Amino acid sequence: MEIATSVGALRSLRMVFGLLVLFLYVPIVLLAIFSFNAGDVSFPLEGFTTEWYSRVFANPALLSALKRSAVVALVSSLLAVALGVLASFALIRRRFAGKAVASALFFSPLVVPYVVFGISLLVLFTFVDRLLAETTGFYIGLGLHSIVIGHVVVSLPYTILTIMPLLERLSVSLEEASHDLGASTWETFRRVTLPLLFPALISSFLIAFTLSFDEFAIASFLAGAQPTWPVFLFAQLRVPSQLPVLVAVSSMILVASLIFVLGAEIVRRSMERRYGREFAARGMV
Amino acid sequence: MATLEAASSRREWRRRERRGTVGLLSGPLLWLLLFFVTPVAFIAAYSVGAVSLFPTDSSVISLDDWGRFLGGGSIYMGLFWKSIRMSLTVSVVVVLLAYPIGYFLALCTKKRKYVLLLLIIAPFLTSYLLRVLAWKVMLGEHGVVNSLLFSLHIRSPDDPITWLLYSQFTVMLVLAYVWVPFVALPIFVSLDNLDRSLLEAASDLGSSRWRAFVRITLPLSLPGVLAAFLFVFIPTIGEFVTPLLVGGTSGYMYGNAIQDLFTRGLDWQTGSVLALFLLLVVAGLMALFGRFVQVRSVAA
Repeated sequence: MEIATSVGALRSLRMVFGLLVLFLYVPIVLLAIFSFNAGDVSFPLEGFTTEWYSRVFANPALLSALKRSAVVALVSSLLAVALGVLASFALIRRRFAGKAVASALFFSPLVVPYVVFGISLLVLFTFVDRLLAETTGFYIGLGLHSIVIGHVVVSLPYTILTIMPLLERLSVSLEEASHDLGASTWETFRRVTLPLLFPALISSFLIAFTLSFDEFAIASFLAGAQPTWPVFLFAQLRVPSQLPVLVAVSSMILVASLIFVLGAEIVRRSMERRYGREFAARGMV
Repeated sequence: MATLEAASSRREWRRRERRGTVGLLSGPLLWLLLFFVTPVAFIAAYSVGAVSLFPTDSSVISLDDWGRFLGGGSIYMGLFWKSIRMSLTVSVVVVLLAYPIGYFLALCTKKRKYVLLLLIIAPFLTSYLLRVLAWKVMLGEHGVVNSLLFSLHIRSPDDPITWLLYSQFTVMLVLAYVWVPFVALPIFVSLDNLDRSLLEAASDLGSSRWRAFVRITLPLSLPGVLAAFLFVFIPTIGEFVTPLLVGGTSGYMYGNAIQDLFTRGLDWQTGSVLALFLLLVVAGLMALFGRFVQVRSVAA
């Protein structure tokens, strides 16, 4: 006998689950279907076309917005992973006064509303620019660099959360052994710790990258004259004739990121399982 | 001799490590102090007039803007409560939806547990903006739903269902859509950690499944439920992207007011008051309930 549910209850739970999956995926699937529709983004379907997709690649403004997002995502996620490694090491391996405060600070960007954070950075940058203009006569202005700064802040807690659990499981004795065998601190880090942390670094990079790539709220305040992909998308939504092209590029990105996410998760799990086994076999976990 | 040397060099290594702690912390701490704490301090200063950027800003330090806002002298307090009502509704609905999902995954599936969980969570990890856009495309006056009704001759093209888009209902529907996958996670985790022998004991002692659920499963999963609730409630109070896309005027929320004050109205002083107030509300919620929110379950 099942302990948690009766047969009838199980059947209805299955149905709720199925309905929720439908609810979650129907809009995405419809978007993908309409991206191949020859007519407007509405019924009846008017035949198959890849026209919208080819128009995506013939739209320089759209392509450069995508490129900007890729650059911002790449730079900000690399920075966030680097800072995340440092912070995770401090939180897991070191004892210091004020650790609780530091850790609260590291994680607080998780709960701060993006609209508040975005306008706060806008105020700060405007103020710095005003100051610079008054004293030196030139100013920095808003742009991709301001978005990168903001995205590093909001990605940092995610990278820490991904790196910490693995770091916690890595035994210090491996690093001590490496040191006893004559390796310097840097050599130990590069040849022992870093390779062992690699799966966590990859998955934290992927998380930070996806977060930054389609982040709209913060970027909308800080983009200035350099719209990233989501900012561009939002501005273009006011032009109805652009809708099919936007639907095409959107469904491309949605499907790609679904594959990306599922792939990353499968890789992470299999790597972790393998590592787990190896460590367990040697009694290191 | 060799072991002694190794031991003393290891001590030296540890000593250097302690000094290294400062090196480890300084990077991330400095980044957050410069680009997270400082900007928030700036809007705090701005909200009381200690900082001003525009000729229209008052350059005298005063709590007037705060007084007007808290005293209900502006429309914004009403808007704040409207947003609270909306995100409360969304959070409750989403938790009620996600609970059976978490229950099903944790207690009724075995081998495919994580595959099915991933199926639910995966949409959350794709673009937020694009998922909202998908609904905008579906619900417009000539969108997917209406045009489907036209082509099935259920409604005439002159008479589309107009309330589908740009209403409070739409904002809440889309917010629920966006957050449901994320909320299933903490509920799943709390139910998955449930000691099943408790349920077996209850059944051995003659308790019905329903009674066991009410007396054992439900109370033990309540921390997860509360965490799930906060996971939606906190971010949706300050929501502005979803109402911007599908809300129209009736779906306008507090976050939109902040955005408008900074990008259109150019009343940065009032905007700072509103932003800081929202931040204080969130901080208050975290101080009260933060211990129920295990940040680590996010990464699990």
